[in-house]
Amino acid sequence: MIDAFLHAAIVMTTPILLAAIGGLVNRIGGIVNIGLESMMLGGALIAVMVSAQTGSAGLAILAALVTGAVLGLLMSLVITRLSANEIIVGLGFSVATAGLVRFFLKSVYGVSGTYNPAGVAMLPPIDIPALHAAPVLGAIVSGQDALTWLAWALVPATAFALRRTRWGLRLRATGAAEATVRAVGLAPLTIRDASTVFAGALAGLAGAHLSIGVVGLFNEGISGGRGFIALAAFYFGRSSPWRTALGALLFGGFDAAQIRLQGHWIPAELLQALPYAIVIAVLTGLGLADRRAERSGRMG
Amino acid sequence: MMRALRPRVADGLGAAAPFVFALAIGAVVLFAAGFEPLSVYRLMIEEGFGGERRIAATLTASTPLLLTGLAAAIAFRSGVFNVGAEGCFYLGGLTAAVIGFSAPSWPSALVLGAGLGAAALIGGLWLLGPGLLRARLGVDEVVTTLMLNFIAVGITSWLVNGPLLARGSANSATPAIALNATLPRLLPPTTLHLGFAISLALVIAYGVWGRFTVGGFRSRLVGTNPRFARAVGIEPERVLVATMVVSGAVGGLAGAIHALGLVHRFVGGFSPGYGFTGIAIALLARNSALGVIVASILFGALSSAGASIQLFSNVPIEIVQILQGAVMVFATAKLGRLWRRAG
Repeated sequence: MIDAFLHAAIVMTTPILLAAIGGLVNRIGGIVNIGLESMMLGGALIAVMVSAQTGSAGLAILAALVTGAVLGLLMSLVITRLSANEIIVGLGFSVATAGLVRFFLKSVYGVSGTYNPAGVAMLPPIDIPALHAAPVLGAIVSGQDALTWLAWALVPATAFALRRTRWGLRLRATGAAEATVRAVGLAPLTIRDASTVFAGALAGLAGAHLSIGVVGLFNEGISGGRGFIALAAFYFGRSSPWRTALGALLFGGFDAAQIRLQGHWIPAELLQALPYAIVIAVLTGLGLADRRAERSGRMG
Repeated sequence: MMRALRPRVADGLGAAAPFVFALAIGAVVLFAAGFEPLSVYRLMIEEGFGGERRIAATLTASTPLLLTGLAAAIAFRSGVFNVGAEGCFYLGGLTAAVIGFSAPSWPSALVLGAGLGAAALIGGLWLLGPGLLRARLGVDEVVTTLMLNFIAVGITSWLVNGPLLARGSANSATPAIALNATLPRLLPPTTLHLGFAISLALVIAYGVWGRFTVGGFRSRLVGTNPRFARAVGIEPERVLVATMVVSGAVGGLAGAIHALGLVHRFVGGFSPGYGFTGIAIALLARNSALGVIVASILFGALSSAGASIQLFSNVPIEIVQILQGAVMVFATAKLGRLWRRAG
């Protein structure tokens, strides 16, 4: 029972974590990515299509990654090159992509909302025989798919890249001091675009995890607001990949609990809204702490 | 005279450009799917504006957008990026619907006043929090208001699936409102209702307020130059909180008018994103009242035409969503740069 829950919590954390790491990097580069949801949706659909066509989960993942990256690039170009407001562009991308996906399903496959082709190759779970029988730990680490491992590997990798590498420094500088970046001869807008492409690619993978990792078909509601939950996770995490991962884990846990608790104790609708409330609470707490620090700084 | 008009004309063209871009993208999508874009667009224009009934349908569809556009414009004008009208719309709609089915014996004016007033109150209170958080603690209002949308949708869908579910109804809907709580129709048999007139009047009132009153001037000053505003003795924080509350109240009112005028109950999925379309409308209109009216009618035509083109031409109705989304994407884009770069 507890093992099944823990396993599900990790599974549900993966898409949120992937998109949140992308969104975190994007935000550090200077763009708040409201369009993650649309990139997730695009990735989820393409993954099912390619998987059913080729029978290869690997190709499907690659296609989802490329789809997310292309959507990210398009969104980024409108924001960086045409100085459009990132919030409205992100919302517009979410609306347009949701419409496009439905339009596509209707006009190409003649289905409304759900696409369930035969022969979808699922992402294989990676069993770890040595740990499989171990209580708790076995449920957490054994039987997860490659994208889950990738998501968790990205947490330390991103933390390291942001702090210790030249690219991390350039990215942080682009978000914090664009003029300086330009002054030393780098192209801040290109760096910013690259961060959105990265975010899009990860969101595309997140979509693939949902469609060919969890359910094995595509549904228009498959992303289920997880792009926005990812936004909540990286706001929760501020600029830290580790804290972002904690947020994603928390929200993934809610997601898993929500499926189990449906109809009991707490209504599912309220449980689904909880992550958003937590973000507001966290932001309030941070705001209070900042102000207190400011005050004591002034007195000292 | 002509010279004085020129910047206005340029402004108008600038605001039209996102529509042109969206139509171009829509044309590519339609063409790829094997439809003839031009004939689809011609059909959409006919369905949106051809004849009294169709115009009435367009105006009905533009009614919620007038107010969500207004809610956004009020906020943006003072530099408050409120994206929370969607949540207020849900809460306002539910509040009005509950009052609308609970007091069948009251006089109509009283129940309508109570429904609209309570919805505005709830909407305003809903955004008081983000207003205070931004003013006192500097918490980004984009994030808080965006998050509050999901919370409002969660709360209302819980209520409409549980405590407020109409007896005998399988899907999420409250009981229908009583006859005394419905906003009267303006042009029967069309669905155009008094809510359109109320919404239009409010947008016009906003235009007058913004242009001719001290309050309107102050609000714009806070938006354009908060430091100067502070220097001349305006407290930007106070304006900010008030703006957020008023914007939320208008969002709540929009939901109430939608419930009492058109839907006549509250249902799950009450808004197909009116609050977000309102953001695009305000940005396209650059917060001007006239712009809000024109953009609302265009978006209204789009959605009312979309419903009928699906009937007549088997073009999936989602083309409307694609066009709307594309307009949003380009709403604030400086499209002139495309040419400057090429040239």
